[in-house]
Amino acid sequence: MHIMEGFLPAGHALAWTAISAPFVVTGAVRLKRILVERPELRLTFGAAGAFAFVLSALKLPSVTGSCSHPTGTGLGALAVGPAATTIIGTVVLLFQALLLAHGGLTTLGANVFSMAVAGPWIAWGVWKAAGKVGLGPSVAVFLAAMLGDLGTYVVTSAQLALAFPDAASGFAGAFAKFAGIFAVTQIPLAVAEGLLTVVVMNALNQRALVAEVRA
Amino acid sequence: MIRTDRLAAASRWKDKSLSEKAVTALGLMGLALALPPFPGALAVLVAASLLAWRSGVGPADWLALLAPPAAFIATGTVALAVEIDAAGLHLAADGGRAGLAVALRALAAVAALLLLAATTPTPALIGGLRRLGLAPELAEVALAIYRFIFILQDTAQTMHAVQAARLGTVGWRRRIRSAGLLAASLLPRALDRAHRQEIGLAARGFDGSLRTLSAHRPVSVWGLARAAILLVSIAGLGLAW
Repeated sequence: MHIMEGFLPAGHALAWTAISAPFVVTGAVRLKRILVERPELRLTFGAAGAFAFVLSALKLPSVTGSCSHPTGTGLGALAVGPAATTIIGTVVLLFQALLLAHGGLTTLGANVFSMAVAGPWIAWGVWKAAGKVGLGPSVAVFLAAMLGDLGTYVVTSAQLALAFPDAASGFAGAFAKFAGIFAVTQIPLAVAEGLLTVVVMNALNQRALVAEVRA
Repeated sequence: MIRTDRLAAASRWKDKSLSEKAVTALGLMGLALALPPFPGALAVLVAASLLAWRSGVGPADWLALLAPPAAFIATGTVALAVEIDAAGLHLAADGGRAGLAVALRALAAVAALLLLAATTPTPALIGGLRRLGLAPELAEVALAIYRFIFILQDTAQTMHAVQAARLGTVGWRRRIRSAGLLAASLLPRALDRAHRQEIGLAARGFDGSLRTLSAHRPVSVWGLARAAILLVSIAGLGLAW
């Protein structure tokens, strides 16, 4: 759920850029260190990033008659970890802005925070917690991807509500408005993304690919 | 092929200095955010559209580029045009004017972004970021992602067509399963392709950097001056109105 170019006031755009910057810089420093030690991994990261971009263009059935696309935050967090997902997600969001005008440059910080920081870490946390309470792998993957997607949508709604508080009911009313409007597509989409991620993870595990990707 | 990338590759401004295009497009974007939406953002929208037309983007292509972001902006604007209070949900006291102002500002900023994207191939933009201090390793990863996108997109489209031909897209359940299997088949192919390219590079003495040639495009002082005149004129119009 991208915030479009120019939608946020300048102050909010700058603030979200500042909040996201430490996560992106930490991820970039880590990625740089890995690439200095193993330069040949440039192409693997390139393939993983392009895969994330193409995945985000996959059409998923959402509410009746409409389609939407997965965020890939859950799959990314489970396959390569939340920190690596942050930096790959940032590059993918930049390309989505430049190639598809989906998102934007001024709203990149806000979108990075919701889709490349909050979503992956929520998915990762849910997956770990589900493992600890003894849920089966498929249920854990489904919950992680679904709640990661929902977390992205809740954070985006909060970002918009902070920028545009309701004249009568303030932040809470604005949050209810944004969350309510986007819930029509985002809740079915989150369920669809959870199911999709289970299918992908099962297929990857059958091919022993998750271990290879993490390595 | 992605429309913006095709237009950028064929643009009359392709060989223009990146600095001139960036000053123009990012300056317009800044004005869209900073000026009052009427007439500031409206002037930015008109200026970006005229410049895009001058650079070789036809009206049909320009509208096709603007339409998807405009639809997303419209969805967000609905929330700004209504209020919630004890009486329930109703039209905002200002009649939705604040929402329209945000929509106009966002559409103008999107037009400025598209002006840059439709006149500058992405590798040139990454090259510009590299000159501004982006680490070479990260720039190379970004370029690798860009190059893989088109290969994987073609592969994904072919796989989707095959699934559709086998009725894999009929019904909600099959569509989820097909999308999942497509993603699961695409990732190993992507990694396998990357691995084969790594072997190919290693065989050619890969030392850690992927150097490519890029054309030298000198900055035109007159071009920068024209951009500055345009930006100052729009700023003047927006503030004087």
